[in-house]
Amino acid sequence: MRRRAGTLDFWIVLSTSVLLGMGIIMVFSASALTSSYNLGDAFFYLKRQLIWAFLGLIGMSFMLKFDYHYLKRLAAPVLGISIILLLLVLIIGISSHGSARWLGVGSLSFQPSEVIKLAMVIFLAASLADNRHRLKNFIQGLGPYLALMVVVCALILAQPDLGTSVAVAGTTYLMLTVAGADRRHLFMLALAGVGAVVLAIILAPYRMARFTAFLDPWAYAQGYGYQTIQSLLAIGSGGLFGTGLGQGRQKLYYVPEKHTDFIFAILSEELGFIGAALVVIFFLVLVWRGFNTAFKAPDTFGSFLAAGLTIMLAIQALINMGVVTGMLPVTGITLPLVSYGGSSLIFSLVGIGILLNISRYAGS
Amino acid sequence: MVININARKRLVFVFFLLAAGLTTVILRLAWLQFVRGAELQEKALNNRLNVMPVAAQRGVIYDRNRHELAISIASDYIGAFPQEIKDSGRAEEIAATIGSILDIPAKDVLEKITRNTGFEFIERQVEFEKAQKIKNLKLPGIEVVPENRRYYPNGPLAAQVLGFAGVDNQGLEGIEAMYDKQLSGEPGKIVIEFDALGHEIPRATHRYIPPQNGNSIVLTIDQTIQYIAERELEKIVNSPTDPLKANIIIMDSKTGEILAMASRPAFDPNNFGKYPSSVWGNPLVRDVYEPGSCFKIITTAAALEEGIVSPNDSFYCPGYIKVGPDTINCWVSPMSHGSETFAEAVKNSCNPVFAKVALKLEEEKPGKFYDYIKAFGFGHPTGIDLTGEGTGLLIPEQQLKPINIATIGIGQGIAVTPLQLVTAVSAVANGGRLMRPHLVKEVLDEDGNVIKKIKPTEIRQVISPATAQKVAELLENVVSKGTGRNAYIPGYRVGGKTGTAQKAGPGGYMDGKYVASFVGFAPVNNPRIVCLVTIDEPKGYPYYGGTLAAPVFKRVVSDVLHYLKVPVQYDENKKDEQPPKPVTVPEVVGRELSSAKAEIEKLGLKVRFEGQGDKVIAQIPKSGAVVPAGTKIILYLQSNPNKPRVPDVSGLRVTEAAQVLEAYGLTLEPQGTGQAAEQNPVPGTIVSPGNKVRIKFYETAREVLGP
Repeated sequence: MRRRAGTLDFWIVLSTSVLLGMGIIMVFSASALTSSYNLGDAFFYLKRQLIWAFLGLIGMSFMLKFDYHYLKRLAAPVLGISIILLLLVLIIGISSHGSARWLGVGSLSFQPSEVIKLAMVIFLAASLADNRHRLKNFIQGLGPYLALMVVVCALILAQPDLGTSVAVAGTTYLMLTVAGADRRHLFMLALAGVGAVVLAIILAPYRMARFTAFLDPWAYAQGYGYQTIQSLLAIGSGGLFGTGLGQGRQKLYYVPEKHTDFIFAILSEELGFIGAALVVIFFLVLVWRGFNTAFKAPDTFGSFLAAGLTIMLAIQALINMGVVTGMLPVTGITLPLVSYGGSSLIFSLVGIGILLNISRYAGS
Repeated sequence: MVININARKRLVFVFFLLAAGLTTVILRLAWLQFVRGAELQEKALNNRLNVMPVAAQRGVIYDRNRHELAISIASDYIGAFPQEIKDSGRAEEIAATIGSILDIPAKDVLEKITRNTGFEFIERQVEFEKAQKIKNLKLPGIEVVPENRRYYPNGPLAAQVLGFAGVDNQGLEGIEAMYDKQLSGEPGKIVIEFDALGHEIPRATHRYIPPQNGNSIVLTIDQTIQYIAERELEKIVNSPTDPLKANIIIMDSKTGEILAMASRPAFDPNNFGKYPSSVWGNPLVRDVYEPGSCFKIITTAAALEEGIVSPNDSFYCPGYIKVGPDTINCWVSPMSHGSETFAEAVKNSCNPVFAKVALKLEEEKPGKFYDYIKAFGFGHPTGIDLTGEGTGLLIPEQQLKPINIATIGIGQGIAVTPLQLVTAVSAVANGGRLMRPHLVKEVLDEDGNVIKKIKPTEIRQVISPATAQKVAELLENVVSKGTGRNAYIPGYRVGGKTGTAQKAGPGGYMDGKYVASFVGFAPVNNPRIVCLVTIDEPKGYPYYGGTLAAPVFKRVVSDVLHYLKVPVQYDENKKDEQPPKPVTVPEVVGRELSSAKAEIEKLGLKVRFEGQGDKVIAQIPKSGAVVPAGTKIILYLQSNPNKPRVPDVSGLRVTEAAQVLEAYGLTLEPQGTGQAAEQNPVPGTIVSPGNKVRIKFYETAREVLGP
């Protein structure tokens, strides 16, 4: 079932470019004043983000030329290496903000959790493409995937990184849905998933506090509610057109993680509803074209892979924007393509490269 | 297109799931940015703004003649921006420097300037030189900002009226509290937008909102009258009487304006913190007491108005009155006033008569007595423009028993504030019209323009002008002939009433604890002022209102009337009480009766002869003495030096009596001291020269005046 590679999906290229561009501009706007003050270099984060974007684009270019079918064979080894990296990060990881998420030295560090997201999607797509007929059997079909998911999520959670963990679990769940798992099983799993999240919140006091603050952030304005409140204040200050690029005030130490996890808040303040909605719409376009690719993929692996990559991207975006707009409790997760962050940006672009590669083989 | 229909459906389902999620984000953005946008924007701005307060200048409080009673003087506060100090890295050094200049522990300063806040006060109302010193050091993150400090130039004068304002320019007591909104103005501010770490945002919001200075208040108080009242209070509290408390209130009876309101113990509002908070309030409007006989004015007014009694009605005072099982004693008990008219009963402050009159009023017109009490304003706040006014205590009407009516008739069993009493008596003085008492005359804006004038308010006509006139006359008798004699002021017609009330304590009246009081007004024919003096728990004896409070009233009212230039007028019947011219007594001893008489009368003096004959052999007072015109000079006459008649020397002091007897060639054999009373031989007896005359002298019994 091999075909010759065709043209790239225009819409995916367009929305990726727009989101990446807006991200770079916003990273600069959000960080310039404070990095100038703290680090003596207004361009500190901009320069790095440009380097990451450049590296990411190289990765993307490579992947969009790299026939995705080879990935099917690489799926298991990549997953194996990723899991080893996850184990390593727990032992020799670099800590930041109370979580050990990085491996490596200095600016060469990266987050294994970004790798596992991609590895998980590839592996699931490959494996489900072969085994989807057995999926109706809960123990033999669904069981191994759930076991894998639990192990991976547990490792990520151990960092601790609830956001990525939820993203991985959500992606796995939706991929199983796409692959044809039994509806009753899916329903039960959804209940179990909610139960697991509740358990995760109850078991960790800091998560419990964050959750309580999420329910009533104003009551914890100086504590766990602080991030949410400052984020909401930034968004609310934006109005329709925003305060203007670079004119936002909330980035001045008020909104924490302003150029990473909360970049969407600063964007909403400076570019207003128009800018923020545009970002969401381009994500919608990405999702639409991603599913379109899945729909038209030449084989089941390609279809599942396209769907999985799209789902992973969408779930991360949803969690991030849900947190920033105060609809979800605060969990550290970046906005793909937009937020500052090396590993996240590179692997997001690599994922989109794969998606584009599949789109080249998609039939009309 | 290799995937089957089912897988396609799943794909579509998951796509819509994710699309729905993203749409939710858009809706949420719209909600936050449009619906709650303004609110969140406002909150965000407030979150970032740091405000340095700039105090408004508090308005002046003037007396009625625009003398300053409370003013604001410029001062500075020292404020700190902790973040700037932290950035400078000199917190310890700054704390030590400021601590030593302001004379406060450096660690206290350090604690304040390292707080995690945008702005902190280090010290308020700092002396000029210290503030200047700190200003000159130009320390990072330290600001010296002008503010105002309240100053009361007269110290404790009228302290309980004025009250005081705290460091934040907020009125805490008295007029300062009551008129705080007018006086305080609107504080201004310097607003600076800061980032979350306390750095000033470049080119950000930086506004100066100037303060709106407060309005000034012109009081009805007259500084001079207030001073007179306070002077007399000071005297009484420093006398052996040494009362627990003492109050004087003076009101303009026509307008209800309070001219003076003074209390002891007092405090200095410049240092109010050094006095117990119990003395900060104004006892004249806040505290209640049983008015005692002063309240008989109300009983009189009600009974006269209702025609229950007229001044010439006859009564009999047996020294007590029985009301059911209870007995009320007259204050003269165990003696009695016997037969007397109602007018005399007022003069004598006779308890049984007033009890009887009150009972009669209640019997003939049930409920009327209480109606008058309420109409005179008792049991209600007077509505004066001060906070914390007391209402007084009235026994609930449905619980009233005859004994209560009887005791209320003499002013016991009812509690009133001094202000209520003086307001009620003011109504009597003012032709029956009850005026609302007030302390503020005008409100002035910053530039001194009158923006509000408080006009006199009539609350109601309580009794008819004719009744008021009758009551006033009866009260004038109290002062001219009765228990209020000590309040008599030559040259002015004064009406008033004494009061000596036993203080009620837990479980009944307390032995030996009284409130001596006097309330009255002058001049009776055209009253200008009403004055109440209360002396709470005087020490020792006498404790009567007539002996303790009436003299104070006399001194205060006399000075105030003169100060107000109220024309002196003399009662037609009392010409002899004109302020007499001083006359030097001439020497007339040895002269003929007729020429001596002519010379003395020519000088405006009067003559009284003693003995028989046509030759003057002694005179009292002696020549050279300066006496008021109209003084009687006693001329002792003799016809035959060999057969002297014993002269009548009654009333003379020992030395005077000795001189007179010596002139007759007789010798004095005195017994006791004081004034001559009994003589032996009796006057007129013809004796031989050189005979002894035995005379008994007595100290005049202390005149004890009733309650």
